[in-house]
Amino acid sequence: MMRDATPVDCTRQAGSDRADYNRGDMNRAFLSELRRIAGDEGVLDDALELLTYECDALPHLRESPAAVVLPTSAAEVQAIVRLCAREGVPFVARGHGTGLSGGALPVAGGLVIALSRLNRVLNVDIPNQRVTVEPGVTNLEVTRQVAPFGYYYAPDPSSQQVCSIGGNVAENSGGAHCLKYGFTVHHVLGVEAVLPDGELVHLGGEFADTPGPDLLGLIIGSEGTLAVVTSVTVRILRRPETVQTLLAAFDTIDAGGAVVSEMIGAGIIPAAVEMMDSLAIRAAEAAVHPNFPAADTVLIVELDGPAAEVTALFDVVVQTCTRHGATTIEVAQTDEQRARIWRGRKAAFAAMGRVSPNYYVQDGVVPRTRLPEVLKRIRQLEHKSGLRIGNVFHAGDGNLHPLICYDERVPGEADKAEAVAAEILTYCIEAGGSLTGEHGIGADKSQHMPKMFTPEDLALMQRVRSAFDPRGICNPGKVFPTPRLCGEVPGPYRQHPVEAAGLAERM
Amino acid sequence: MCGILQSTPDPVVITPATAEEVAAALRDASERRHSLVIRGAGTKSDWGRPLGRVDAVLDMRRLNRILEHQHGDMTATIEAGATLRDVNRALAQHGQWLPLDPPFADRATMGGILATNDSGPLRHRYGTPRDLVIGIRLATTDGVLAKAGGQVVKNVAGYDLSKLVTGSFGCLAAILSATFKLAPLPRASKTLRVEAPDAAALGQMVRTVMASQLEPIAFEIEIRRSTQRPQSTRKDFSASSASSAFTILLRFASLPAVVDAQIDAASSALKGHAGSVEVIDTDDGQRLWSEHSQQLWNRDGAVVRASWLPANITTALARLEEMTAALKGGPAAGAADGATAMVGRAAVGAGLIRIDADTDSQASVIQQLRASSSFGNVVVVRGSADLKALVDVWGPHGDRQPLFDSLKRALDPAGVLNAGRGPV
Repeated sequence: MMRDATPVDCTRQAGSDRADYNRGDMNRAFLSELRRIAGDEGVLDDALELLTYECDALPHLRESPAAVVLPTSAAEVQAIVRLCAREGVPFVARGHGTGLSGGALPVAGGLVIALSRLNRVLNVDIPNQRVTVEPGVTNLEVTRQVAPFGYYYAPDPSSQQVCSIGGNVAENSGGAHCLKYGFTVHHVLGVEAVLPDGELVHLGGEFADTPGPDLLGLIIGSEGTLAVVTSVTVRILRRPETVQTLLAAFDTIDAGGAVVSEMIGAGIIPAAVEMMDSLAIRAAEAAVHPNFPAADTVLIVELDGPAAEVTALFDVVVQTCTRHGATTIEVAQTDEQRARIWRGRKAAFAAMGRVSPNYYVQDGVVPRTRLPEVLKRIRQLEHKSGLRIGNVFHAGDGNLHPLICYDERVPGEADKAEAVAAEILTYCIEAGGSLTGEHGIGADKSQHMPKMFTPEDLALMQRVRSAFDPRGICNPGKVFPTPRLCGEVPGPYRQHPVEAAGLAERM
Repeated sequence: MCGILQSTPDPVVITPATAEEVAAALRDASERRHSLVIRGAGTKSDWGRPLGRVDAVLDMRRLNRILEHQHGDMTATIEAGATLRDVNRALAQHGQWLPLDPPFADRATMGGILATNDSGPLRHRYGTPRDLVIGIRLATTDGVLAKAGGQVVKNVAGYDLSKLVTGSFGCLAAILSATFKLAPLPRASKTLRVEAPDAAALGQMVRTVMASQLEPIAFEIEIRRSTQRPQSTRKDFSASSASSAFTILLRFASLPAVVDAQIDAASSALKGHAGSVEVIDTDDGQRLWSEHSQQLWNRDGAVVRASWLPANITTALARLEEMTAALKGGPAAGAADGATAMVGRAAVGAGLIRIDADTDSQASVIQQLRASSSFGNVVVVRGSADLKALVDVWGPHGDRQPLFDSLKRALDPAGVLNAGRGPV
């Protein structure tokens, strides 16, 4: 998998972004210092062992690092970053590798700092409603820790069983319930992090209202380009008194969209509003059998809160669905039924593997009111390109996840899928939306950034980056557009060897 | 108390009408090394460190338009000089609001509210400005216009530079406009006012509400301590032997029947601990809430922001009591000889403390608050020049200081913005 990078000039325009690094630079002395810090078992440099770390959940972008280090404490992270800073070695922090934008793509010949062994729960404070964990703790583990007390951690990305809190902080992860409850940035009270020069910094913390610019808010969602987070304090929420979930089927996607508009126009902010089209429904049905109706569109609406409020507003939602011609309305009567509905929704991405040999998950955002028009354009694109496109989206906040199906064995189809995915992003931007709602820019979309931001916008962001990382060693090559990365193979999704072996499924 | 006009006799006042004019003023100031202070309505211009030399004031109030209200998407893009009150009047036409209620909400501008990240009781449900801003347009000191974020509520493309200027007090760049996510205006609201006999009962009630499934939009504590009899607009405390009054306010907003159900549930949960429980309906509620947010400011005395762990409020109050027990009133304190008052977000653990005492005593309390493990992030927001000479307004930035310094160098290399007011 190693590609020879030496003959190509990879110098970045800004001069601060080392997206490539000469493998020869990581010498024996560096590796033995790494081993001194993290122990022999904490350093991997065997080609076979490194395979796992070549990519995250976006396997068409892969690169071989020179080594992977697995620290077990913040002090070790600090020592490792100090060493990298001293030697000018670029590093990439990695959580559990579930990212969908190549944010954890290694720098060729650089170091991967894998935080999976930094996985202790440091403090659970129920009365003050907060939990402090190391970055390698999974999202769902936080909820598991506090569930017996009637609490939960709100951000719930589909990969929540396996994704790490550190990765959530890097990507500002959302999930199905962020329309009402917001994103990671709204639930993190503080972090401890190692800056690219190896200094430890505390942003936010156990007390509210740290004075000064909100650097905590800035580094959340900075995709690992500003610091390596070593502990995270999150706010936990009391379980709402009542949760009500319904699944309604419609003959057209427009009818489902009209229900969403009317609900929100009536001042109802559901905990979640999800839509899936017929292809996504079929795929989910084949994969996890959620017993979804065979329909053009299903709408999932969840309300939560005080019982009196949920009961009153749920009636309004049911009536609205009926008025817009719902062919089926299924109200979850038990926790099991509710879980089954969500299982169908959350499995939708992975399930595409059941109906297509290959697929590409796009993540774009449009203002909610522009959804019908953008979906129409995506349908037209589907006909024009000849590639099937499944649609799964967070309808409440206009976050689209088109799933572009293709067969890489058919010559040219992979390139066509990539072009279709890029075209959809153009539609999103033209409608006043965003390149990404939750998966991040990473290495995957950095070349699209000029569609959304001017050179001045990007230059200002780069100035901020340089204030944190003047030497450009902290996850270089991500977020900002650069010439094609050396050794980067353009193209959409290819199956990860682990996936091909049936050992893992994409969430 | 207007710091700007006091510190320099006659700074030039620039009143730009366009983003380009703001950018030009910033570039010009950078080139000439002129010290520039950005100002909205000036409601908080006395916050921060005493100003150094000020050559020019950039008055943003002509940039006061609502550029867009996408009511179907529940977002609005608003220029920095628009006042929160005008904005909310316009948004109400579509049954929406920007749910912020910082002090001076009747005059404060959006730019000023963002730059100070100021908020009020609604923070309990809706968060602070940083939680509601989704996009920003800035002018930087080199005269460049740049944006970050966007117009959609869900967006993780690029750095969220709106966070960088939130709480910056105009030290890094000028805010031109910002896009916010909005909320539907609640149909009905009522407030439950509960008096607690002592700090222990107050703490018990705070923990009870936090652990409950009640969903108030505001959850406040009020503590008034005096060497004289406490003053109250609602209740005569003269019969009480205690020198402190402890109050909890819970505001519920939803459908009318839901509000009543929540009020009932809260009353029965708290009755056992409370001295008295009173339900205040909408009209009276408006008055109560405006009195609540003004009461800390309507008397002289130093005002500090402070935070604490919400479930540990009883301990924090005991520490505060120890610090203020021996306070002597200063000339400004007048009738409220040696009093303190505290208003805060019960479940966030953040609020304001007013210290009515002579300057040395004020400084001593502030130093003790900073040294105490029960309090954090103690910042002087209002204080005399004498007090600000005795204690640093911001307190130490700890391990964040090097980052603040490098951001300042990156964005304001000539050091022309904010005249040393801080925090950066």
